[in-house]
Amino acid sequence: MTLPSVVRLLGLLLLVAFITMPQAFAFIFEPLITRGAPAIYNQGSLLALTLQHLRTVFLATLASTALAVSLGIFVTRPSGAEFLPLSRSLVNIGQTFPPIAVLAIAVPLVGFGEKPTFIALFLYGLLPIFENTLTGLTQVPAQAIEAARGMGMNAWQRLSQVELPLAFPVILAGIRLSVIISLGTATIGSTVAAKGLGEVIIAGLQSNNIAFVLQGGLVVALLAVLIHDGLGLVERAAARRLGRAPDEVS
Amino acid sequence: MIEIEHLTKRYGTTTVVDDVSFEVDEGSLTVVVGTSGAGKSTLLRMINRLVEPSAGRVLIDGEDTRTIPEEELRHRIGYVIQGYGLFPHRNVAANIATVPRLLGWDRKKIAQRVDELLDLFQLDPAEFAQKFPHELSGGQQQRVGVARALAARPSLLLMDEPFGALDAVIRAKAQDDLLAIQRRLGTTIVLVTHDMNEAFHLGDHIAVMDQARLLQHATPAELLMHPADDFVERLVGTAERPFRLISLATVQDALEAGEAAGEPVAASDNLHDALARLIWTGREALPVADAKGAIVGRISVGGILQHGRPHP
Repeated sequence: MTLPSVVRLLGLLLLVAFITMPQAFAFIFEPLITRGAPAIYNQGSLLALTLQHLRTVFLATLASTALAVSLGIFVTRPSGAEFLPLSRSLVNIGQTFPPIAVLAIAVPLVGFGEKPTFIALFLYGLLPIFENTLTGLTQVPAQAIEAARGMGMNAWQRLSQVELPLAFPVILAGIRLSVIISLGTATIGSTVAAKGLGEVIIAGLQSNNIAFVLQGGLVVALLAVLIHDGLGLVERAAARRLGRAPDEVS
Repeated sequence: MIEIEHLTKRYGTTTVVDDVSFEVDEGSLTVVVGTSGAGKSTLLRMINRLVEPSAGRVLIDGEDTRTIPEEELRHRIGYVIQGYGLFPHRNVAANIATVPRLLGWDRKKIAQRVDELLDLFQLDPAEFAQKFPHELSGGQQQRVGVARALAARPSLLLMDEPFGALDAVIRAKAQDDLLAIQRRLGTTIVLVTHDMNEAFHLGDHIAVMDQARLLQHATPAELLMHPADDFVERLVGTAERPFRLISLATVQDALEAGEAAGEPVAASDNLHDALARLIWTGREALPVADAKGAIVGRISVGGILQHGRPHP
């Protein structure tokens, strides 16, 4: 086993161990707290919160991916080319509008809970996926497309059998970026009562308990590192199949 | 047989192919040659309708190509481009299987066909089937590109500068291989190139294009002896003419009765190669052997040189 995979495995084990039996790690956090305060988050199960957090991020990224990839495909077709500048502006607005402001606007419309968080993450995650879809699709070798046309592939066959598979590693890099941003951003969802790891951090801030803040932050950070790394592996494997240097896509 | 009738392509006010007509016989190889921008590629791409003609039509075995759905037409016509456009994400076997898969052949039949083609192109299936295009040399990629175009047994093969990306040594080999495969399969080929040597080496007929117009469509020998105009004459190369002529004739054509000393030349060799042997060995004449090795006569420098000028 190589060193990076040992580190990966240890990280994963540490994360699983911490969220399933956090009390076992109490000794680490005890020096950080004032007398009598709990060392480990005690207002809910860390495991449940982690899964809830992941679920929100997963669903939001799935929705961003569906829209951003479809939009990217649409504006790279001859019939959709004129919508490229418009789509770019819209997606850019999604990115520049701060998620916290989106929450503020969304809560009166859809109420408290998971929905406003989902909307904020969805809008925030569009840009990287959209831009990478564009890059991926436009850098497909013109000769491969010409050959595909010349052999009698129709537009759908060209897209599904040539363009998307060749753009896949680049699109995946966009999704990875979006997931990582969402993992961190999802913590603010707890300000509008969405279940997630933000709860732990906010509880810590409210009761002036640094140990809580640190626990919430660490779990999110560890999740981000592991997911980033895992998706990176998939990307490199896909890129290797295409005969590109792995560093060309990241 | 391919009949190209008054084919024209205009983009706005620019005419890139202007009223071109010629015929391509079944099983023959026609080379379209001309300077860059002459409209050769556009002409070729109108045959499989990658470019829709502004006027005129193409008949394949009497059938107007406009009556055949675009994709179906292209499934029936092999297409090879410069750089080949192999799919980087598919291995050699999957690349070759592209059109059969589009046609919905069953897996066993596809696998059989792929192996057959790899053998035909001297690529060992065990070694090459699973390789990806970036793992192949230029010459191997070229062969896979042609094999892919031939996979569904098209009766017509269109080639756009198929040897353009190869170095001189591999190119000569690839050209000979193409001729051998064409003879074996009887495929009709239309090939576009800007290289006059390639045109003379490969073409049964040569179509010379300049500034969107077809200047002359003739056999190589006719083109050399009766060029239609000054441009064609310049393009075929006035200084090269005698050498091209003797390249087109075989030893059999200049066979004389009599005997000569030395290593015999084969009756099927071209006169250019025979002359080279004569010059190199310093002899005036050499014996000629037929395919079985029997001496059938002799060939002389004087006899060869006669074939390098128009007959009176």
